Amino acid sequence: MDDKRTPPAPALEEVRLPHLTAYRLLVKWQAAGMGAMLPLVMVVQAMLAVGLIVGFGFLIPGIDRETATFLSTGAPTTLLVIIGLVMVPQAVATARNNGSWNYLRSLPVPRPLLLLSDLTVWLAVALPGLVMALLTAWLRFDVPFSFNWPVLVGAAFLTVLMATSVGYAIAVSLPPLLAQLASQVLVFFVLLFSPLTFPAEQLPVWFQQVHSVLPIQRAGDALRAGLVADQYPFEPVGMAILGGWCLAGLAITLRALTRRR
Amino acid sequence: MNAVLQVNGLTKSYGSVVANDGVDLVVNRGEVVGLLGHNGAGKTTLVLQVIGLLMPDAGTIHVDAVDAVADPAAARRRVALMAQAQTPIDGLTPRTAVALAARLRGLDKRRARHEAERIAAELAIEPWLDRRAGPEGTGLSGGVRRLTGFAMATVAPTPLVILDEPTNDVDPARRRRLWELVRRVADRGAGVLLVTHNVSEAERAVDRLVIMDEGRVVAAGTPQQLRGTEDHLRLELIVEPEGDPSRIVPPFACLRDVVVGRRRLLTFPAAEAERAIQWAAASRSRGAFESFALTPTSLEELYLELTESKSQASGPEEVATRG
Repeated sequence: MDDKRTPPAPALEEVRLPHLTAYRLLVKWQAAGMGAMLPLVMVVQAMLAVGLIVGFGFLIPGIDRETATFLSTGAPTTLLVIIGLVMVPQAVATARNNGSWNYLRSLPVPRPLLLLSDLTVWLAVALPGLVMALLTAWLRFDVPFSFNWPVLVGAAFLTVLMATSVGYAIAVSLPPLLAQLASQVLVFFVLLFSPLTFPAEQLPVWFQQVHSVLPIQRAGDALRAGLVADQYPFEPVGMAILGGWCLAGLAITLRALTRRR
Repeated sequence: MNAVLQVNGLTKSYGSVVANDGVDLVVNRGEVVGLLGHNGAGKTTLVLQVIGLLMPDAGTIHVDAVDAVADPAAARRRVALMAQAQTPIDGLTPRTAVALAARLRGLDKRRARHEAERIAAELAIEPWLDRRAGPEGTGLSGGVRRLTGFAMATVAPTPLVILDEPTNDVDPARRRRLWELVRRVADRGAGVLLVTHNVSEAERAVDRLVIMDEGRVVAAGTPQQLRGTEDHLRLELIVEPEGDPSRIVPPFACLRDVVVGRRRLLTFPAAEAERAIQWAAASRSRGAFESFALTPTSLEELYLELTESKSQASGPEEVATRG
């Protein structure tokens, strides 16, 4: 092959790249940045899965099969939500502090593509957590899964999208330091005060009402309906609320990406 | 139209702080324009408005005849930026990073690879071409990261290239290569806006200079125009480490008189040269200062004089203007 026979350089004019090409290139760019962190993220996810399923199991003496199933099928949501609500704000806050947020926004690509490529990468980062949690649940409690694949895939996708877009929205709406702090608080809220690994009925009524409009319990219920379909029914309303939070997160993030202060 | 960047009456405030105050600036095709000023002079605010990250309060910006205020996305497609912060290349090798940037600027895969290798050879960074940049600044040195960022901004033809402190962390030999490349980018028809506070480098590398202070343009022209066409000389006096250069009283009238740390920079007509040397030699032998040098005038004195108020607040390198 003759490497010297390269085509002539384009003239000095504006760049107009097909969106799909730009998207692929941005995914490659952002995945590389995440790549170095990926093994660490997977180790953390595995530890969290074990902690949630095995560790929380110790809190319940003589745990019965139904409770074990509830606990085990809530753990995957916890992992997915933590990636989006905790890791994403921290990553975006870092990017805003070190200048890469502004750099990426200066690239000659439509800014929604920046968000889309980043969401793609976070989806890829989050999904192994789902598998790990299910594997742990099966090994520890031999959970009787009965998959409803369309619901499972849809719920997992919407959960990651919701958590990531809301995480993004937090990161772009607050000053970086405050965003990092908020993400730390959210860890406790998701782990301890969200009815993912325990039934909502154990919460005070007013708190149940709060959770009925928040996306976390809705995500947990939707994912559970995909994992043990014969025991937990699928609720379209919950999915719609989850979708609404996705749209709100995406709208806030897109506005921040395109807004000129 | 020859201008690739035309800024008129640009004004931008953050609360009560006026960061840009009626700034006018033109960068023509084939031209390297230096934008000079201290930290906080308003350079970065101007750049952020050009690339559509900040909204001007007033004024116009045209990039390659496109109204950048009305259509920032169209303007951004005509600008390549090397930001002052390190370019985000963690997880990438310089080869991949430069090729990616080239692809995003419209080069096809083969051409992008070819251009990445060419520019790496020109910047002499081939030994690091396949070394991956790690997180937290590991893998590649700051200088190689900086050069990679420069290569990413200049690898593909773009009407306007904005370089913000491109030589930070770069060794002298590669700095020279970088400046040669900047010249070549302009020679192939692009306009280059070089943002810096390094006066001496800017003086050698640019066709025209714009000096900003406290949000305003305080001087503009070619280096020669700014230095002055008249026959002037500069006498530099350096006092002992604990000495005070402002206490020296020269026996002739100075056109410019600036104190920078231990240095006193006096600009005067060449006709006074003989008198100045005699006085300087005698004063030094009396111990009034440690050493002196007589040189042609440079932009440094002008720059320091124009930006005096900012520098006084800027710490150990105290600058004061006298006379």
